[in-house]
Amino acid sequence: MFSQLDSRSPVPLYDQIATRIRVAVAAGELQPGTALPSVRQLAARLRINPATVVQAYRDLEAEGFVEMRQGAGTFVQEVAQDRRSSERARQARRLVRELVNEAARLGLDTDEIMEAVRTELGAKRS
Amino acid sequence: MSNAIETRGLEYRIGRSFEIRDLALNVPEGSIYGFLGPNGAGKTTTIQLLLAMRRARAGSITVLGKRVPQEITAVLSRTGYVPERPHVDPSLKIDEALRFHAAFYRSWDDKEGERLLAQFDLDRSRRIKRLSKGETGKFLMVLALAQRPDLLLLDEPTDGLDPVVRREVMTAVVDYVSQRGATVFISSHLVHEVERMCNWIGVMDKGRLVSEMTTDSFKSGIKRLRVTGAPQSMADPPFVLLSRQPSEGVIEGELWVVRGWQAPMRDYFESAGARLTEVTDLDLEDGFVELLRTSRSRQPLEGR
Repeated sequence: MFSQLDSRSPVPLYDQIATRIRVAVAAGELQPGTALPSVRQLAARLRINPATVVQAYRDLEAEGFVEMRQGAGTFVQEVAQDRRSSERARQARRLVRELVNEAARLGLDTDEIMEAVRTELGAKRS
Repeated sequence: MSNAIETRGLEYRIGRSFEIRDLALNVPEGSIYGFLGPNGAGKTTTIQLLLAMRRARAGSITVLGKRVPQEITAVLSRTGYVPERPHVDPSLKIDEALRFHAAFYRSWDDKEGERLLAQFDLDRSRRIKRLSKGETGKFLMVLALAQRPDLLLLDEPTDGLDPVVRREVMTAVVDYVSQRGATVFISSHLVHEVERMCNWIGVMDKGRLVSEMTTDSFKSGIKRLRVTGAPQSMADPPFVLLSRQPSEGVIEGELWVVRGWQAPMRDYFESAGARLTEVTDLDLEDGFVELLRTSRSRQPLEGR
């Protein structure tokens, strides 16, 4: 789930970690009650500052995605369906925003982008 | 939050030339602090001053709340140090060197030493001089970590090591910090090596501290802007202008590298009749290079 963390990205690492987990919860990949890796495990695995993992988990807790239980670990919370859909929509918009920015940089127009999106989605389905 | 390392007005000279000049470091307790700078910037000299191996001409040093050099004994008992060059007798076997080193530290943890030797796949009957570079690097890390220090001072700890060993060593450091909440001070000239781990960055160049801030604010504020139609002289900008270059190649517009950028600052260009056409994020290494370039052009060499 964390294989594509990008330390060169301007998006802080804690934010990247929190996003991965939010997406997995929204997609139902992480079921309520699932234990997340401990801070120590995840920090060592990713070779990042443990404080970065703590910050990601705290943010997720504040948003109601996980619960940190003292001494026991961090667990995925039950998240309401509409909350999960809005999270998915938010991630979709984020992806498209990146696409649109990059396309603008390359000077592509709307028709060219839409055409390419249709082609790629079609290729994925077949 | 208090600082694990703090220096004020630190100066050090060799002969007539300044090695370290007016250095004010603040390394917060519990941070992993990347001490960056090109070769010859004064990183190793600074570490040697922190450990009282060298004496400053002026200024003050506090490490773990103790004054250096006056209270250096108390500092050393709680500090794990991995020097740039090995500091163990090469004729000893691993377990002999380990036993000798352990005797200096009340906090030494035998079990942890064993565990780390096994984790790093080091055979305790091997002689130090027969170890490869990577094995030597791992062994030095065992010595520093089994001491259970509150502060780790690592001087280019992975310089010249292959990527596999580098990962092993850094994973062990991160794991130790997770358990103990120790402060880690890592010097390096390799930005990518430390940018994942460090939450604080200090950049040295030519004996001066050019910049010190959290990694996130360092990364988020540095941008490359493409600007068209900017008059030669403009009002003082609301951000820090690091460099301004005329347009190159086929794409129109000047390139500005700035620090402390925020989106509303677009207005600055519009009010001057210029147009901002692109904002690109720079990563830590790009930011580091720009920082050195501008600090060098602003401060001509002195005393050399």
